[in-house]
Amino acid sequence: MAVLSRRSLLTGAGGLGLLALSAGLTGCSSQKSISSNPDELVLWYWNRSMNPSALKDASHRIPGTDRFLNPEMPPNSGWDTKLRTSLAGDAYIPDITAINSNVSLYFPDEEMFIDLNEFGAKDLKDDYFPWKWNYGLTPTGRMCFFPIDSGPTGFYYRADVFAKAGLPSAPDEVSAAVTTWDAWIEFGKRLKAKTGSYMLIDAYQLFTQIINASPERYYSKSGRPLYSEKNSAVKEAWDITVRAIKAGVLGNQQLPTDQNAAWISGKTAGHIEAVWWAQILLDTAPATKGKWRLASQPVRAGNSGGSFLAIPHTCKDPKAAYDFIVWSQSADRQAQAYNEVQLFPSTPGALTSGRMKDASKGFFGPQNSLDFFKRQAETVPAAFISTYEQIANFFTTQIVNVEAGGKDPDRAWDDAVNQTNRVLRKHGVNA
Amino acid sequence: MTVMATTAAPEAIQRFNDHEGSVARRRKLVTRIVTHACIWVGVILSLFPFYWLFAMSTQTTAQIFGFPPDLFPSNQLLANIQGVLDNVNIFQAMLNSFIVSGLCALLVMFFDSLAAFTFAKYEFPGKNALFRVLLVTFLIPASLSLVPSFVLMSKLGWVGELQALIIPGAANAFGIFLLRQFCETSVPNELIESARIDGAGFFRTYWSIGVPMMRGGIAFLGIFTFISAWNDYVWPLVVLVNPGTQTLQTALASLNTSYATNYGWVMAGALISVLPLIAIFIIGSRHFIANIAAGAVKG
Amino acid sequence: MTAHTTGVPLRSKPRNTPIAASKTRKNGFLRWWPHYLSIAPFYVLFLVFGAFPIVFSIVISFTSWDGMGKMTFVGLDQYSYLLGDSLFWQSVWNTFIIWVISTIPMLFIALVIAFLLHQNIRMKSFYRVAFFIPNVTSMVAMAIVFGSVFSDQFGLANSFLKWIAGSDAGVQWLTNPWGIKVTIAIMVIWRFTGYNAIIYLAGLQAISTELYDSARVDGASTWRIFSRITVPLLRPVILFTVITSTIGGLSLFTEPQVLLGNTGVPNLGGTNSAGLTIVLYQYYQAFNNFDFGYGSAISWALFVLVAVFALINWRLVMGRREDQLGQVAPSLISRFTARRAAATKESTR
Repeated sequence: MAVLSRRSLLTGAGGLGLLALSAGLTGCSSQKSISSNPDELVLWYWNRSMNPSALKDASHRIPGTDRFLNPEMPPNSGWDTKLRTSLAGDAYIPDITAINSNVSLYFPDEEMFIDLNEFGAKDLKDDYFPWKWNYGLTPTGRMCFFPIDSGPTGFYYRADVFAKAGLPSAPDEVSAAVTTWDAWIEFGKRLKAKTGSYMLIDAYQLFTQIINASPERYYSKSGRPLYSEKNSAVKEAWDITVRAIKAGVLGNQQLPTDQNAAWISGKTAGHIEAVWWAQILLDTAPATKGKWRLASQPVRAGNSGGSFLAIPHTCKDPKAAYDFIVWSQSADRQAQAYNEVQLFPSTPGALTSGRMKDASKGFFGPQNSLDFFKRQAETVPAAFISTYEQIANFFTTQIVNVEAGGKDPDRAWDDAVNQTNRVLRKHGVNA
Repeated sequence: MTVMATTAAPEAIQRFNDHEGSVARRRKLVTRIVTHACIWVGVILSLFPFYWLFAMSTQTTAQIFGFPPDLFPSNQLLANIQGVLDNVNIFQAMLNSFIVSGLCALLVMFFDSLAAFTFAKYEFPGKNALFRVLLVTFLIPASLSLVPSFVLMSKLGWVGELQALIIPGAANAFGIFLLRQFCETSVPNELIESARIDGAGFFRTYWSIGVPMMRGGIAFLGIFTFISAWNDYVWPLVVLVNPGTQTLQTALASLNTSYATNYGWVMAGALISVLPLIAIFIIGSRHFIANIAAGAVKG
Repeated sequence: MTAHTTGVPLRSKPRNTPIAASKTRKNGFLRWWPHYLSIAPFYVLFLVFGAFPIVFSIVISFTSWDGMGKMTFVGLDQYSYLLGDSLFWQSVWNTFIIWVISTIPMLFIALVIAFLLHQNIRMKSFYRVAFFIPNVTSMVAMAIVFGSVFSDQFGLANSFLKWIAGSDAGVQWLTNPWGIKVTIAIMVIWRFTGYNAIIYLAGLQAISTELYDSARVDGASTWRIFSRITVPLLRPVILFTVITSTIGGLSLFTEPQVLLGNTGVPNLGGTNSAGLTIVLYQYYQAFNNFDFGYGSAISWALFVLVAVFALINWRLVMGRREDQLGQVAPSLISRFTARRAAATKESTR
């Protein structure tokens, strides 16, 4: 009796534990792909990185294949962290993924992605902006990252605030008044004195956008650091930013919530960003509609953002994935993406197709934002983005320290150079 | 406790004897007013963030970002909640949080009480050494081995799976320790002895004597485990790569990153993630803290 | 089953002694199989998910590895890099400072609250719940709330300051390096003061009430009672809270991560990396930079720090009397948990 009931008790009690353990044991390998349906290809993208209507079409069937697309926006607590964690964990990897303009981050692990030349991507090379196409080539010459959009930048500003300060407020006048960065800073000083408003949210944004508009970035193609050379573009951008900080034209708003609040209130009356930012501004500060204009930023336009599509090595059907990519990034589709969600094309064919129309819906008053960005796109310089670009983020963190922490600019510069060099040496680069 | 009290008592009483005499009624009243005022300041500071969370989740983004801030609730609560539901699968996240926290709590309650019962009431070779090992593990912070744990999970194939959150925490030193103390003081040996004479085996004794008598402690441990599993953040952030299995915490963090432009939604999401826990705590607070005082005095 | 109705009152219970396992049956270790089986789950889980990762992290810390590519053995390079890494030392410094400016006020306030609650007042259970609730709330949600309360532009804290001190007042809570530390500390204080107060309260109630009564009769002031009776007698409980606050403080992560996660370079703790804690830096190196080797080296450095702090704590508070680690730890923790356990038991009646 005792033995029997003990046994039954044992079974009952152990059952609870076994239940949990079996959950673990049966799942002894987590899925490599997000979906186990062989006909379903999962795409990871983030809000506004692709045109929803194209995704919707492909979610029934990807044209020319018998697969269908499942577009998903993964939880975004750092896009690259998410994607790289999936790759490192070898689990729940999407079949197709969007990657931002920092594709060079993935070059050391390029074998994680399929070479699109295997499917004949080479033949499409001439259809896209050469600088954009080249960003997607790995150092070993594999084509792993296919262009989606590009991000020519401009100077967004509040015409009403400028006018109130007695400053030029028509786009052409503003463009003419800020042809150099020093003129831009002077302009900002007058704006600040009259209205108390800032030209830009913070030093981080200014520094980044000056670099984005520079043909020279942090490293040479051979991986040699350029920043510490005399008259380097990085140092020049640094010095301009420091002058802007000292002139008090930057808002020192480091958090998105503060930045949004300042755009809504007019405390910040300008921004330098790519075409896609118009949509974000529209969502953030709908009440400011009609008050914003676009002017050319000093010197020349840059490229900010503009993403890519890649096929991870675990993809169920790389050919179908490739077909989807090519189909979704055709000139027609890119024109449509601009019209619907303001993704600026990476293929000149879309710009000349005559199908694109100004999509700003009066947000910039009478100004035609499409014409504006078309002109900007012509001045975007080709630049080389290195694998080690992320290591150079010491420069951006240090410029923030100068602005928000009152750190001595020279010391901050030296710290940035030294910290970057140290990490480079850690990665085996001689610096 | 009594040992401590008696050693310090004579000296302390001596000191107060010098102060003998005047117990002015006024002073007593002032003391009471000050006491209550202090307590209420604390209570308000303690509860204000919850009110503020609620107030913000009823406002539009423009109201939240307005200056000076609007101190009173507005009428956007439903619209904000709708926004959250449209953009984040918050119910799935909540279900996942319930599964993880619930299973964790059940397993911990079972395994810990079983081990605690054994440690408290039985002798077996190696017992003391094993218990010492258990105590040392108590002091190791969980966030210590983020990287190797992730690698281990990827080798096991658990990355992105909920069991990566459940199994590693299914038994813990804290709970065993707590329940062992509890068991030593509240389960009389005579009962166990008589059960043995009646022919009950070890597991039967545990189930029919140990469990009922440790009930209070087990309930406390269950609530405690549930709450900490519910609030766990860094580990789910690392290991839950599957968009379909997010917990409330990671879903909320992602809402915060992706929708900084729509703060009303973020606040509504935060409110949704906090409410179930507060409800569980208030229901369970009887076990949790209500009688700590009474019990401690008697002990 | 009538077992549960015959609970022996705690006060008068005889000293329990463990019962030896039945000696009559099988020989050898097999005799104790149910006992080993019953404690096995903890040790198995600890070996697999606790001990193994810690040992494995040593292995990883000797390599250069991004989690995807191949692992390269680099010997002690990660550690020599760590010693010269100013960001790492800054994260140690930040963690220490935040710990100091949060723990000291927090424990003091908690003690005061416990003392006040210990007075004979009404609505005691409501107060206890009110003070304890911050501790059970998710830190992600509350970090978002605190982020907006302490916002530079629209935050409640600044509009309050402006209301009091004029429109020029206001602190850049989340961009000024000290503002960042103070804001994080305030969050920690908010969250854990009630928790510690409840623990102190339990400790207080274990002190004989006669002591208080006689002091009252003697007309001792409240402050005198607090400083002369309460604090000295609570010493062991205070030690317990110092140790738990230290372990908690050294692994601070969620607050700075959520509060400052959206700034320019994510997960580096904002301006001057003022909010960069050790665990956040470990996370940054491992899961933003994907430098698994270095992330593991940082976690080992943290491990050493935790051990050192734990030792210092024991030495400081327990003094000369008992300084053998193995003896102090159990007695200390058991004093606390016994009280909690006894209380919890009462609550079920």
